[in-house]
Amino acid sequence: MTRQLPRGLDLVVQPERVEASLWRRLRNCAEAACREALFNRYVALARSVAGRHFNRRPPPRPELTDYQQFAYTGLLQAIDRFDPLRGVPFPSFAKPRIVGSISDGIAQMSEIDAQCSQRRQIENERIRSLRSREEEGPGEAIFRLSRLAAGLAIGLILEGSPPVLEGQLVDPSPSAYDSLQFRQLQMRLAEAVSGLPEKEAIVIRQHYLNGLGFGQVAELLGLSRGRISQLHHSALRRMRKKIGTIG
Amino acid sequence: MSTLCVDEQLQELMAAMQGDDGTELAHADRLIAQYPEDPRLHFLRGSILASIGRPLEAMPALSRAVELAPDFAIARFQLGFFQLTSGEATDALGTWGPLALLPVDHYLRKFVAGLTHLIRDEFGEAAIQLREGIAANQENLPLNRDMQLIVEQIDAIMAGGPAGGRGDSASATSFLLDQLSNRGSVH
Repeated sequence: MTRQLPRGLDLVVQPERVEASLWRRLRNCAEAACREALFNRYVALARSVAGRHFNRRPPPRPELTDYQQFAYTGLLQAIDRFDPLRGVPFPSFAKPRIVGSISDGIAQMSEIDAQCSQRRQIENERIRSLRSREEEGPGEAIFRLSRLAAGLAIGLILEGSPPVLEGQLVDPSPSAYDSLQFRQLQMRLAEAVSGLPEKEAIVIRQHYLNGLGFGQVAELLGLSRGRISQLHHSALRRMRKKIGTIG
Repeated sequence: MSTLCVDEQLQELMAAMQGDDGTELAHADRLIAQYPEDPRLHFLRGSILASIGRPLEAMPALSRAVELAPDFAIARFQLGFFQLTSGEATDALGTWGPLALLPVDHYLRKFVAGLTHLIRDEFGEAAIQLREGIAANQENLPLNRDMQLIVEQIDAIMAGGPAGGRGDSASATSFLLDQLSNRGSVH
């Protein structure tokens, strides 16, 4: 088995300097990639705060995903407002803002909102993004439906949750062979994501891997929600072609 | 009024940097207010800021030193090394570019060659160049220690073990005032 060598750069980089570099480039050059890198660096902090607040509240309560979505919003706001020259560590600055965003968000959720949770909103806008464009696409209805299903399945695999059919009665746990195939497919998809144009890759990573809604990805990239929807559709189309041509 | 502060003032600042009363930054700021065009002061200020964990401010100070004195080789090398340790490898290579004009056996040129190989994950070649640089360097011994730490990590990787220390070790002495080549003179 081949031993995986570390990158040479890893021997010399210092995390605090790397983070300082991200803040400097974000503030001075408005590099979108730096905003995403900082978001990724602290997304675990947002999830942890969301998890604590979720666990503190007894049922009935909104879903954990709702808490996480509000936490992400708070994190993005904190990234935009943070002044790294003030000497306050970012986590100390961000935590109260994440907590505030969760508290405000949950308080504003009406019962109807709670029924149509953030999670469902995310799924709905994902379907809309695919459906509206597939309906405009060429081919018979059955092929358009097939493309839509393929797009949704890719999304589910990216999220790490295999699609389960409603009403399925057989044992849904996969066999060892199925698990292996599924992992291989996940690896191929990960490769396909890394080959996407930068903005499409950011949309896919943040939407599926970090669970951000289109609105939050739009905020992260400074684009409209509609544009994120387009990028999402385009990315899944590319990935569908890519995994259809390999393996 | 002279652009450069006198040697005595520079020595006082360096003495303050060796002390532990925390006045060195204020000292540097006072001198820079008097001699804003002295690249050595900006270099030392950058070194102080880097050593006290204020990398956001250290970078512009080091950049200013190089801007004022493009031939200030040690400042240029350290700015590039700071960029490298910040994960900005492409910027580091750009900063180091003019050091290619140094004699082929100059230790800074060897260090740059070694670190360039390191960026490309060419560990064997990196270690060779860094060792040659260490052997050639008799004037900036703390820099040798930094490079030696990197060589040791490379050796550990080549031997199949884990690379210990990562960047922390390489930073420990990176910006010591002894590295101000020839005690304050600009090359």
